[in-house]
Amino acid sequence: MKKLLEISLGIVTSVGGFLEVGSMATAAQAGATFGFRLIWAVVLGTLCIIFLVEMAGRFAAVSHHTITDGIRERFGFKVFLWPLLAALLVNFLVMSAEIGGVSISLELATGIGFQWWALPVALLAWLMLWKGTFGFIEKGVSILGLVTLCFVVGAVMLKPDWKAVAAGAVPTLPTHDAANYWFMAVSILGASISPYLFMFYSSGAIEDKWDKSYLGVNRAIAGLGMTFGGTISVGVLIVSALVLATHGIVQVDDYHQLPLMLIPIFGFWGFILFTASLAIACFGAAIEVGLQQAYLVAQGFGWTWGEDLKPREDPGFSAVYTVSLFLAAIPIMLGLDPLRLTIFSMALTAASLPLTVVPFLLLLNDKRYVGEHGNGVVSNAAVIFIIALGFVLAVVTIPLQIFGGT
Amino acid sequence: MNLLRDILDKQALDRKRVKIGKVDGLVAELRPGKPPRIVAAELGSITLARRLGTWPGRWVARLAAWLGGKRHGEPHRIAWKKVRDRGLDIEFDIDVRETSIFDWQDWLRDHVIGRIPGA
Repeated sequence: MKKLLEISLGIVTSVGGFLEVGSMATAAQAGATFGFRLIWAVVLGTLCIIFLVEMAGRFAAVSHHTITDGIRERFGFKVFLWPLLAALLVNFLVMSAEIGGVSISLELATGIGFQWWALPVALLAWLMLWKGTFGFIEKGVSILGLVTLCFVVGAVMLKPDWKAVAAGAVPTLPTHDAANYWFMAVSILGASISPYLFMFYSSGAIEDKWDKSYLGVNRAIAGLGMTFGGTISVGVLIVSALVLATHGIVQVDDYHQLPLMLIPIFGFWGFILFTASLAIACFGAAIEVGLQQAYLVAQGFGWTWGEDLKPREDPGFSAVYTVSLFLAAIPIMLGLDPLRLTIFSMALTAASLPLTVVPFLLLLNDKRYVGEHGNGVVSNAAVIFIIALGFVLAVVTIPLQIFGGT
Repeated sequence: MNLLRDILDKQALDRKRVKIGKVDGLVAELRPGKPPRIVAAELGSITLARRLGTWPGRWVARLAAWLGGKRHGEPHRIAWKKVRDRGLDIEFDIDVRETSIFDWQDWLRDHVIGRIPGA
């Protein structure tokens, strides 16, 4: 019974934690421009994150190491520096994008420009970390995050042609805007396979003191939770394809176009639901990424860490999330376009994945850490294939996007 | 035992199981005619920087001495005979509060973090 409760709580957490500014923006863009044709990218990305999250939980439960500890210990400091720097940079951009997402939703709600909201948002997120415990943050973020299910309800109410939706799950070559099509595919992959998500999950498993008896719970949470999360992304994509495109928006280049998505379905409530979803999903993600930055540095250098400790008990740890959050607010305060920042950081995430995922995969195949609970051929092959695809597409399309002027 | 594999870069704890850092370096004594012997473990940013190269090591040592005074110009060294447990983590039979390892965290707590309400 206790396990069942844990599984459901874990699923709620993943559903609430999955959707953030990246998956919302990329799915909305893809839907408006390419209809259902990029659903396959969401499916591949979700499949990959299911495997990675399951591995992260299994690694923590069996070896009692977080991923960061494992990489540092197994490969040494010099190798560890690369994933550390890559993750810090990508997390910084993603956190900035999340703060931007909350700020945009506050602009939508109040009419006051988004730049003005960046600092208050960072302050509020910081306050949650400063005063909150891990359980409070995890549960708060997840329960409020369920509001994003409105996209799934909306998608069903629109009565899409399910055959066409299913056809979109099969990769096809683009019929127009090839460069843009592949770039969007990369951004979707980057948005679904967030390194902070699975690294955060392994820290959470250690904070919650998991052991081998949690392997089943872990498998259920990873599989079901991430599938639900991916379903919400597909929901956003379907709603965007059916609503935005029919209202003449075939290219989403401004967050202000997005609230329209839910209005034809829910009326004025659609506006409120969209704004609340954006605010809550991004705020939760900003907190989690901020916490992940502190985990990363503290675990990498062996400091005392734990979100349940008081800040004065782990000053180094609390200093990292404090500095990270306020630094991440700066680009938004300066007026950097949150949508462009989001899309760019998602593509960069996809490009950086080999640096974090490859050492992690090697750990999951190292008997000294996981014993008999090592990876199978299928999970290894699937993750390598998807990461390689994301990397190759990113390396080809990011320069095209920056210099090609599309 | 494979020292580099089993000791280096592991989590270091003091006798009260406080996380005091990672085993950032190992110090070996060269003995004529005999195999070298490990005499100490080192912790801290200077040791880490030295692993990256001579120049980073020199600069970080200079920076640490400038920030923390002369005794921070050298890495923290713990004698090998203090090593107690080689399980998941490496435990040293020391009390971290009697060392200068946490000086910077103490400074951070007393001057910055502790001054923010609610800490």
